[in-house]
Amino acid sequence: MTSAQRLPRFTAAAAQAVGTLATRRELMRLGALARSYGIYLVLIALLLVPSLWLSEYRGARNLGQIVQQSAALAILAIGQTFVIACRMIDLSVGQLMGLIVVASCSLMDGRPEMTVPAILLALAIGLTVGAINGLLNNRLRIHSLILTLGMLSILQGVIFVYTDRSVGAASPAVLRIGNGTVTGVPVAVPLVLVVAALAALLLHRTRFGLYVRVVGANEEGARRAGIDVARVKLPVFILSGVSAAIAGIILAGRLGTGYPNAGTGFELDAIVAVVLGGTPLSGGRGTILGTLAAVLVLGVTANLLNLLGMSAFIQMVVKGAIVIAAVLINQPRELARA
Amino acid sequence: MTVLTPALRRHAVRVLQQHSIWLVLLLLLLVSAVLSDAFLRPAYLMNLVLQQTPVGITAIGVTLVMISGGIDLSVGAIISLTAVMCAILMNGQSENLPHALILTCLAGTLVGAFNGLLIAYNRVSPFILTLGTAIIVYGLTQIYSGGTASGVVSPGFRETLNHRIGGIVPTMVVILLLVAACGILVQRRTRFGRALYLIGTNPAAARLAGLNLPRVTVIVYSLSGLFAALGGIALLARAGVAGTYTGRGSEFDVLAAAVLGGTTFEGGHGGIGGTIGGLLVLGLALNLVNLVGLSFYAQLIVKGAIIVAASTTYEFVRRSSASLEKPATSRREK
Repeated sequence: MTSAQRLPRFTAAAAQAVGTLATRRELMRLGALARSYGIYLVLIALLLVPSLWLSEYRGARNLGQIVQQSAALAILAIGQTFVIACRMIDLSVGQLMGLIVVASCSLMDGRPEMTVPAILLALAIGLTVGAINGLLNNRLRIHSLILTLGMLSILQGVIFVYTDRSVGAASPAVLRIGNGTVTGVPVAVPLVLVVAALAALLLHRTRFGLYVRVVGANEEGARRAGIDVARVKLPVFILSGVSAAIAGIILAGRLGTGYPNAGTGFELDAIVAVVLGGTPLSGGRGTILGTLAAVLVLGVTANLLNLLGMSAFIQMVVKGAIVIAAVLINQPRELARA
Repeated sequence: MTVLTPALRRHAVRVLQQHSIWLVLLLLLLVSAVLSDAFLRPAYLMNLVLQQTPVGITAIGVTLVMISGGIDLSVGAIISLTAVMCAILMNGQSENLPHALILTCLAGTLVGAFNGLLIAYNRVSPFILTLGTAIIVYGLTQIYSGGTASGVVSPGFRETLNHRIGGIVPTMVVILLLVAACGILVQRRTRFGRALYLIGTNPAAARLAGLNLPRVTVIVYSLSGLFAALGGIALLARAGVAGTYTGRGSEFDVLAAAVLGGTTFEGGHGGIGGTIGGLLVLGLALNLVNLVGLSFYAQLIVKGAIIVAASTTYEFVRRSSASLEKPATSRREK
């Protein structure tokens, strides 16, 4: 179901609940809708309330910076949304992104003419590793979590066998992708928006997107309905790999150098963002807009805590608390169904 | 297969399935012994076990959680917290030792209980929830320790735990074996142990059978926290100092050991014995890589390949045994 179809129902349910004596059933439905839209409410509240008294927080410039800082995670999480909607998980994307940062930076080494080859190399690595994940997942038939955990370890090994310190440098053009602005707007903003729009179209408006969600909801049912499950899962992993490639280029631009630990931990942040955004780990549904909102919530919170002068340590505690709160709010849907 | 009756064949497959990790271990040992006679020296082999002790003790608790169909990704954070906490509490005085150990174990158990309570009464995804707990615990560790390595261990603490009984077997290895034995006893011989397997296999049936699911869940996650605290103490005893990220990533090592040993994500399968086998196989394999002269980083590649290969093998054996059992009982598709 798309959000456009859900919206009238939301207003209808709200009117009913306020106007008449709401039955328990209607209240439950309202609760479910609030859960679906909760992340947007949190984002709006986080954007509006603090700006009443924090002047540095107000304004498009700070917001632009937040988007710039969150761009790599946003793209990575968009790819992960497909994987989780298909009821799988890809733990290898963080180290894949790290590998791409290291490989592209050492290829570029600051030379402007190497920008295009480096981007092509990044896409090739992302595509290849994604395809390997997908093929192994289909062939070996082991849990995707374990498969990609193995791949995480392998990719980390590959990075560090190649180098254990920062190598190379990003070219000026790539630096611009990471940090630059075009007429005041950070380059990252349109980039993220275009990727998100394409991903949303793919997930919500194409047959492939439908199949991804159907396989996620009920793999055996999908198989019996004649869907070639392996041919759905392979492109999902490839999408995840390609998203890691794009995110890797952005991260290379932000860091400016090929830091071998660049991607460490990103996979978990991406999963957190996807689940926060309303895509359940049990698959069957996915929302790109929700993922994007969740990435922003994480970015805005970090920014806010920075402005309030909180230490990085306290920020970690707050971030963990947000994750737990979000999963507590999001999950009881499963309970109602059971 | 005319010689074997179906019943015998099923039995053979089941035995193979349960003990294959020990065959792999034996094979690896033979290969290692051929490559280097260091592997024939008991002291060297004990060293190998000693290296794996912190991860091993932690893996025992996580195995119990995984049998019940859950997962605990917060153990790496708990190890980090408890290692540095124990060092700070000891503060270099031997009279601080008892209460430091008790408080440290208590802290680990509390974090585990926190996980267990939230999972039991909300039925949230343990994967994401324990991930959130891990982030919080890392934050708390940093706040508590000031963000750097701190604390001094009590005199005699390291010496006792690293002392080699009879010049060969370190005390810590004995403790690991004792803890594992206790765990196996709990898993095999108690109602709680059987409840874990039933919940992992079929939670709905477990509830209908009258099991108190929330209570079992809280206890098993608390145990996981407690064992992770013991793992943290063991790590401190090995290293002597504790930074704030000492345990980072060990949740993945723990997972690898458990999965290698035949414990699955779906729950209801495997056990602590297999996990110990998996632990030793991982340790031995990484030592071999080292011996062949590859760098520490190449070990990561080997580790990843082993994880994938081992779970593929298990999945294959499980499927073939499932198809053998099919005529008798139809297995639920998972």
